[in-house]
Amino acid sequence: MSTQIFRLRLEREKDVVAARRTARDIAAGLGFSALDQTRIASAVSEIARNAFMYADGGEVVFAFDGASRPQALLIDVSDRGPGIRDLQEVLDGSYRSSSGMGRGIAGTRRLMDRCLIESAPQRGTRVSMARFLPPDASRLSIAELDRLARSLGQQAVEAAVADEMQQQSRELLSTLAELRDRQDELARLTHELEATNRGVVALYAELDERADELRRADMMKTRFLSNMSHELRTPLSSIRALSNLLLNRLDGDLSAEQERQVVLIRQAAENLSDIVNDLLDLAKIEAGKTEVYPARFEVPALFAALRAMLTPLLTDPAVSLHFNDAAGLPALHSDEAKLTQILRNFVSNALKFTERGEIRVGARVEPDGENITFFVADTGIGIAAEHQQVIFEEFGQVQNRLQQRVKGTGLGLPLCRKLAALLGGYVGVNSEPGLGSTFYVTLPIQLPVDGASETEMPGALQ
Amino acid sequence: MERIPILRMGNCLIVAIQVDMHDRLAIALQDDLTERIVKDKAKGVLIDISALDVVDSFIGRMISNTAAMATVLDAETVVVGMQPSVAITLVELGLTLSGVSTALNVEKGMALLQQRRR
Repeated sequence: MSTQIFRLRLEREKDVVAARRTARDIAAGLGFSALDQTRIASAVSEIARNAFMYADGGEVVFAFDGASRPQALLIDVSDRGPGIRDLQEVLDGSYRSSSGMGRGIAGTRRLMDRCLIESAPQRGTRVSMARFLPPDASRLSIAELDRLARSLGQQAVEAAVADEMQQQSRELLSTLAELRDRQDELARLTHELEATNRGVVALYAELDERADELRRADMMKTRFLSNMSHELRTPLSSIRALSNLLLNRLDGDLSAEQERQVVLIRQAAENLSDIVNDLLDLAKIEAGKTEVYPARFEVPALFAALRAMLTPLLTDPAVSLHFNDAAGLPALHSDEAKLTQILRNFVSNALKFTERGEIRVGARVEPDGENITFFVADTGIGIAAEHQQVIFEEFGQVQNRLQQRVKGTGLGLPLCRKLAALLGGYVGVNSEPGLGSTFYVTLPIQLPVDGASETEMPGALQ
Repeated sequence: MERIPILRMGNCLIVAIQVDMHDRLAIALQDDLTERIVKDKAKGVLIDISALDVVDSFIGRMISNTAAMATVLDAETVVVGMQPSVAITLVELGLTLSGVSTALNVEKGMALLQQRRR
């Protein structure tokens, strides 16, 4: 009749240590001498290690037989391993294992009072050991055994908890190390990023500088243009006035040849002054010096004035100028002078590039009811699609057979574009080479209040 | 992974085994010790096992092997402080720790090492 005291599973290497510690504690608890405690612990250590090493684990059961004479501590170690191959040789002590071990079992038999080994190939091994208490030892009560078992269980739990804690703190340490690595990495990245940032900031500063330079250069150009235009206009006025004096015979008579030449001089001076005027207008707009003077006016009156202004330019009988009926169009509130300038430019352009046919000027209200479009349609040489953008840029001219004959600087249409922008509108062209072109300007019927147009203007002009 | 600390004193290494070693820890100690013998050019190794109350065949063999290795590396090994019950058990187990010098305590062990060096 035996009482089980403790049961221990051999799953990890540390369980072998736990087994021999437990064996020692139990032996001490049962009243074995110090020497016997060491013997029992050593024997358990040997057998438990065998079970762990050769069978990958097993179980140790400690029990106490209080009924026998003498009382005995019973220890069973069992596993489900491959069994012991040369059991007899091992027991004899004649076995020499390749690992230099193989002395444990034989030694254990000497350390214990009883040691039975049952081993079946592939079914496992069971080692039953016993060590007797001295015959004169006092009898142990069930209560004492119980207390021993309970304290062992308590120790096992504590050991497990300690083990768990150790495991956790190890994990914590490795997590901390990882965190530090991560932080280092982050610091490195931040450093790199800062360097990049500095580079970007430096680059921005450089860009700003460049932009400033460009702006200054642009301003210089505008100032140069407006100054030069002023400087050019004065002598041109003199030339025109003087040629007029000559033509009016105020300084004596002119021969027919002389008159022809002076007329040519005056014509050239007038052309030049037109160009200079255009230049000056452009420069003024770019400098933001152009004022818009909105006023209320009617389209028919505008057309009448245009007709009066443009009819003298019609020198070729093959080309006629028509104005569409403007009745029913709403009155405009805009800058009449600037609109007139745009349309005059369109018409004089049309005259330049139309050899025969007609030039038609008209207007229509846009479907939205807030904008009006004026157009000048001709039957001239037309403009190829790829050139339609170029003509609105300064000094942009398209080479064609008529270009040689007519004069121009390529400033007219860019000026129109800028004037239209000043009026809150835009210019455009539809053209078919050989059939003719239609230039148009679309602008609001009611020019927006000054404040709005002023803030928009710089953007529209650049 | 826990480790058994190895101390150096002069040209001797001192190891005090204070815990019940599991097998892997014992092997790690063996590796550490041989490495330190080479690194510190130690001439003597003192292993104190007074805290061990169980020395089974594996630990015993480890001690014996360590001593043999140290000898090959030109260092003397002295095991000190073995408890009587451990000694008896070792003999009963059939282990004799051949080739390992022993001394009763650290003081006598150190004296033994000094004497051998001369």
